[in-house]
Amino acid sequence: MGLTLEVKDLSKNFGKIKAVQGLNLSIESGQVYGLLGPNGSGKTTTLGMLLDVVAPTSGSYSWFGGKSNVESRKQIGAILETPCFYPYLTAVQNLRISAHIKEVSNDRIEATLDQVGLLERKNDKFKTYSLGMKQRLSIAAALIADPPVLILDEPTNGLDPQGIAEIRRLITDIAAQGKTIVLASHLLDEVQKVCTDFCVLRNGVKLHEGPVQDILGETNTVEIAAEDNSKLSDTLKDFNGQKKRYEENGSIFMELEDSFSSTDVNAFCFEKGITLHKLITQTNSLEQEFLKILKEND
Amino acid sequence: MIRAFKLEWLKIRNYKVFWILLGMYLLALVVISSFGVFFLEWLKAKGADFEGIDPTILPIYDFPDIWQNTTYLASFIKVLLGFIVIISINNDQSYLTMRQNVIDGISKREFLLSKLSLILFLGFVSTTFLFAAGLINGSIYSHVQGTTYIFDELEFLAAYFYDIVVFCTLAFLLTILIKKTGFVIIALTLYSLMFEPILGLFLEYQPQIQDTYWPKLLPYLPIKSLNNLIPVPFPRYFFQEIVDDVPMSAVAISTGWLSFYLGSIYFLLSRRDLK
Repeated sequence: MGLTLEVKDLSKNFGKIKAVQGLNLSIESGQVYGLLGPNGSGKTTTLGMLLDVVAPTSGSYSWFGGKSNVESRKQIGAILETPCFYPYLTAVQNLRISAHIKEVSNDRIEATLDQVGLLERKNDKFKTYSLGMKQRLSIAAALIADPPVLILDEPTNGLDPQGIAEIRRLITDIAAQGKTIVLASHLLDEVQKVCTDFCVLRNGVKLHEGPVQDILGETNTVEIAAEDNSKLSDTLKDFNGQKKRYEENGSIFMELEDSFSSTDVNAFCFEKGITLHKLITQTNSLEQEFLKILKEND
Repeated sequence: MIRAFKLEWLKIRNYKVFWILLGMYLLALVVISSFGVFFLEWLKAKGADFEGIDPTILPIYDFPDIWQNTTYLASFIKVLLGFIVIISINNDQSYLTMRQNVIDGISKREFLLSKLSLILFLGFVSTTFLFAAGLINGSIYSHVQGTTYIFDELEFLAAYFYDIVVFCTLAFLLTILIKKTGFVIIALTLYSLMFEPILGLFLEYQPQIQDTYWPKLLPYLPIKSLNNLIPVPFPRYFFQEIVDDVPMSAVAISTGWLSFYLGSIYFLLSRRDLK
């Protein structure tokens, strides 16, 4: 496990706007790293700097422990926002350009197109593609050199639910091969499902960083429901270990004190002669955590 | 450089617009280099005569003068090659593929080299084409034959090649600066075919400034210095005034401009955020 990327004190100003301010990051090889933040929080600018298309105002970064930037980029598959290809060329012709730049043979073109489900359309011009197909072609281009590192900026932008699911599966598959992935997204569900670590950016400042695992896990809120919710609600007034109770969407939510758990709730209701048909311990989601982080830093 | 050209080749190989424009340009070269005979016939029919000389006997296709004559005329349509360069570079800017190329793993210097290789390619194709056309026309019309005459004064082909390279690099710089194909095409055409020539006439013939140092600046203008690479060949037929060398001063000034263009392109590209 080596250090794939190290970012030190990176800043970028566009005139008076401070797009990124003093960003420090280190990404280990094999991590799937989520870069979160609202629109305009500096995600794309950060990735642009790491890929040498935006010049940093100050600060530095190094890939693979100090390899030259041009050589490093050949080992990084990256898409930044929109898919960029020559509209008058076919998928295969476009990928030949990527393969040439990355100094890899053309042998993988077909396999890569197959991987993203574009093999049948390989000889059609890029301009005839739908947005989803364009997005998938850009993922194919990122994968063409079988790179150890992938940078994906909003890879599911503009895709339909099926497309989103496909891309997500693709990312999970790639991550399972031990590749390092940096994923910028505001689709938190996405990041939660595939990322191992994440950080939250807002207005170019890093607000939080840590493993996704740490913030997930169970909470002490239970969601319960029975045939007759009003009777259940009345009965629950006598339950001792509760901090807070409220009804929402036909269920009762109850925040429990630390020494109590869902088992106690179930036993209590059973004693009172009520059969529950729903008893779920709530888990944290990245979305809640993300909103909480943004709120705490307001 | 080969790697740089391969990148460019992958972009143009299947690009119809490029081949159509290049085809049209080469067609224009054929017209310009081969229709001199008919032009002289036309002059004769219109009753033109040069102190009693029948225009059709002017030996414009004689070796080695043919090289200076055709390269001089062909130089007028180099602006079409400029358009090809403008379109090619602007494609990479507007499709954001320049950015994608950089992300994929080339440096901005390599991008510059790949476009420069395209310019060299265009110059090479035009020069070769003109050489072939000259050989054919010369073998038909020239009053003298033989390798000593044919391969004399080939320096004009080299000057023509250089003319194209420097001019297209100017087109490259303008595209990087202005970014909109239409504007660049109009700006380049107007400047090189109208503004600078008129400014040139003004500097040369305006009575009030004729004796000042202003006219001395004339050979240093970007287009004028290129046009000076191939001196106007026709006075030789009328005034026996023969300038049949590529002036080294024009080569030096053009080289100065070429370095300025390339330096500016590199400076602009390396400072620019590609978004």
